[in-house]
Amino acid sequence: MTMQKHQKQYVQRAVFTRKGALSYIGHLDLMRTFERAIRRAELPILYSQGYNPRPMMVFALPLGVGIHTEGDVVDVPMSVPVDPDEFISKVNAELPVDLKILSSISIPEPKDSLMSIVAAADYRIEANGIGTVASKILDFEEVITTKKSKGKIITVDIRDLILDVNTIDDDSIVLKVAAGSSKNLRPDVFMNALCSSVNYDKESALDATVTRTALYCNCEGKLVGIA
Amino acid sequence: MGIVNISHRDLMSVESPGRYVGGEPNQCIKQEVIDSIVNTGSCKEVRTAFCFPDVYEIGMSNLAMQILYNCLNSLDYVYCERAFAPWLDMCNLMREKNIPLYTLETKSALFDFDIVAFTLGYEMCYTNVLLMLDLGKIPLLSKDRTDKDPIVICGGPVTYNIEPMCDFFDAVMMGEGEESILEVAEVIKKYKDSGKQSRKEVLKALSKIEGVYIPSFYEAVFSDKEGEKTYYTEAYSRIKKEDGTVEEVPVTFKGVAPVQTGLRKLEPEAPDVITKRIIKDLDNVLYPTDPIVPNNGIVHDRAYLEIFRGCIRGCRFCQAGFIYRPVREKSPDTLCKQGIAIEHNTGYDELGILSLSSSDYTGLKELTDGLLDAFEGRHSSLSLPSLRIDNFALDLMEKVSSTRKSGLTFAPEAGTQRLRDVINKGITEEDIMASLKLAFTGGWNTVKLYFMLGLPTETMEDVEGIALLARKIEQLYFDTARELGIKARKPEITVSTSMYIPKPFTPFQWERQNCKEEFLKKQSYLRSLLKSKNIKYNWHDVESSLWEVVLARGDRRLNKVLLEGYQSGLTYDAWDDQFKFDTWMSLLEKNGLSWETYARNYDTDEVLPWDHISVGVRKDFLLSEKKKAYDETVTPNCRVKCSGCGATCFKVGECVASR
Ligand code: SF4
Repeated sequence: MTMQKHQKQYVQRAVFTRKGALSYIGHLDLMRTFERAIRRAELPILYSQGYNPRPMMVFALPLGVGIHTEGDVVDVPMSVPVDPDEFISKVNAELPVDLKILSSISIPEPKDSLMSIVAAADYRIEANGIGTVASKILDFEEVITTKKSKGKIITVDIRDLILDVNTIDDDSIVLKVAAGSSKNLRPDVFMNALCSSVNYDKESALDATVTRTALYCNCEGKLVGIA
Repeated sequence: MGIVNISHRDLMSVESPGRYVGGEPNQCIKQEVIDSIVNTGSCKEVRTAFCFPDVYEIGMSNLAMQILYNCLNSLDYVYCERAFAPWLDMCNLMREKNIPLYTLETKSALFDFDIVAFTLGYEMCYTNVLLMLDLGKIPLLSKDRTDKDPIVICGGPVTYNIEPMCDFFDAVMMGEGEESILEVAEVIKKYKDSGKQSRKEVLKALSKIEGVYIPSFYEAVFSDKEGEKTYYTEAYSRIKKEDGTVEEVPVTFKGVAPVQTGLRKLEPEAPDVITKRIIKDLDNVLYPTDPIVPNNGIVHDRAYLEIFRGCIRGCRFCQAGFIYRPVREKSPDTLCKQGIAIEHNTGYDELGILSLSSSDYTGLKELTDGLLDAFEGRHSSLSLPSLRIDNFALDLMEKVSSTRKSGLTFAPEAGTQRLRDVINKGITEEDIMASLKLAFTGGWNTVKLYFMLGLPTETMEDVEGIALLARKIEQLYFDTARELGIKARKPEITVSTSMYIPKPFTPFQWERQNCKEEFLKKQSYLRSLLKSKNIKYNWHDVESSLWEVVLARGDRRLNKVLLEGYQSGLTYDAWDDQFKFDTWMSLLEKNGLSWETYARNYDTDEVLPWDHISVGVRKDFLLSEKKKAYDETVTPNCRVKCSGCGATCFKVGECVASR
């Protein structure tokens, strides 16, 4: 093996939205959809080294099937500097209609990968009557719920993963939860917990629409929005 | 008007919801047509639902669908959309909530379309056709449809014998569809413009189109001698005895139902013979250079470039080798331009070269050089699935890194030279060994070998030959390593066997199929011979091949069987875990039929259910090929010498070139 020289990266940090049809594909398919759009846009994206080179992109946090987003972040490293406006217009011209880049900035190659800095996320949850009960969950010392892990059903206490519940109106809340590779709370696990702890209606829970609205990193003890 | 609004909750309750939502790059959106449908409930354009009777992931890997979708949408008076078979969980949900099957583009229910077109690639998808019609709320039987219902048509390789399914289709398109589908659309446009007066008249108009078969204009006739419902036939099983001689042991097929004795025309104007359509000039026919790129991962996530149609080889078991005749090539120039455009327009990093026996393409070097040059620095690659292994191929595979991982593929099909001569597989053991020696020297160590069990005249000696060949290859690997003075890695040799299924329009169309016991005996014999840790043996399920022969060579009596099968809950027969052999067998029995009815050897002067269809290749040619097979005589390929099969009637391609 020859030593691969590290290539200088010019990174576009882009915020994107997804809705409609595109919300129903898995994370891997979402990555592929982005990859192909950037390839069609003929942008100078960098590829990974090695046997099976892939376009290098780093997504802040995988998006579960069925979850919309209004503020997810992806880092796209390029071999030469690219103007953010050009990047946005070229990529948007190639992305399917339900997937769009909202904004993008040029940043130097990040020291820590985007994925590793994610600490929290906001989800807007719209469901019948959710605003009337959800914040009660904050009064609990512990919130025990079940989740699937490696094919087994396990019981967990998720109380410390719930950072805040903001009631917007009777039928919608914004939920702030721990997110990232070490601690992460999925909105569907939260909804289960809501049903068992404050007796939220299971049927309404199934009808909930979930939109990720923001991602945060931890900056000297404070949560700061990414991008 | 049926625009379906499927809820978020419903989508979240099924597996892979991305299958049911559309929204892919390059899907065709005709906004004016959509506005008209939404605002007024109808439109003047011919609405076509192009259906693939399997799940999205399989259907979207199908080239025929992408081609015809493009052809139809190139007409401004047509709007073609797509529909796929919903997986079982979605079927249940649709039934429970009374949601009709809908197209991905506009989410319109199938019953709202003017044309519902199916592409049929394999027989085992038949019950899924019924599933889609049923969920689409379209009467299953052609005779029950009225002017309010869509015209249901089909095409694809299995339609050359559509008899088992013919009651469900209004019209069947034989052969390549790029041109005829446009002619069909034109007829339907007139029908729609005139306010859909008479279904009978529109079918008559369709029957005037070359290559279009209207099943309801014919009636099959069966022998019905009183008291003689059982038809016995004899076939021979070839057994090799201790002393080396081959003995032919008679196998009697009992319980065979009355045979078809003819086809009666009910409509005087209907043609006696329906001849398939072909595209004469592939360079100038529409080819999709901006195919739809699925968002939801599919089976083969790559774009395709079809380089020629037909095959010069004429292997006697191979239906594709006869039905696609004559060979017609596209020029390397056209292909390079199209390949580059496809890579650019899709963003795929792999372009699959598609044809039968790709090594026979005369411009292969020019094409692959051109494409690899154009892909340089773009991280794009080619895949060439059906290459004959020689220096050129190995060199190419070296350049195309992705093929390397998958190893080398050989399809000797039979274990002995004798049997390879019977099936006209023009490959010798020396060829295989020479190619493999090259490959092993070049560092390859993975070899996949494909064979068939149950080929005509096969004896246990031929089966043993498969194991002997695999072991010789194993030995060759170590010998080559020793010669080169390198330490041998472990060779990985995979032997796969499938069950031979005699198919219409081949020289073996009259042959019997092996029965279950014979197949199992051969499989277990082979298993006992392939015990080396370097050789892996893969075998297939026997029962699905036994059912496939029934569908492939079946007649009109099977329509009822298929309908009853569907009504008793059978779908997705192509999926091993869904296929229910015993249920099918009891349904056959209930209808006075049996596996033997269709798996027996057919007399060569018998009426075959597909006799009124012509693929160009004449029946007497197939018969002479059958005789040559029994004489163990090979037939040279079209490029070496034309053997006068009949496909010259199309006056193009190899048949003209070789004059
Ligand atoms: S007519 Fe001759 S060249 Fe043409 S397909 Fe038949 S055998 Fe081949």
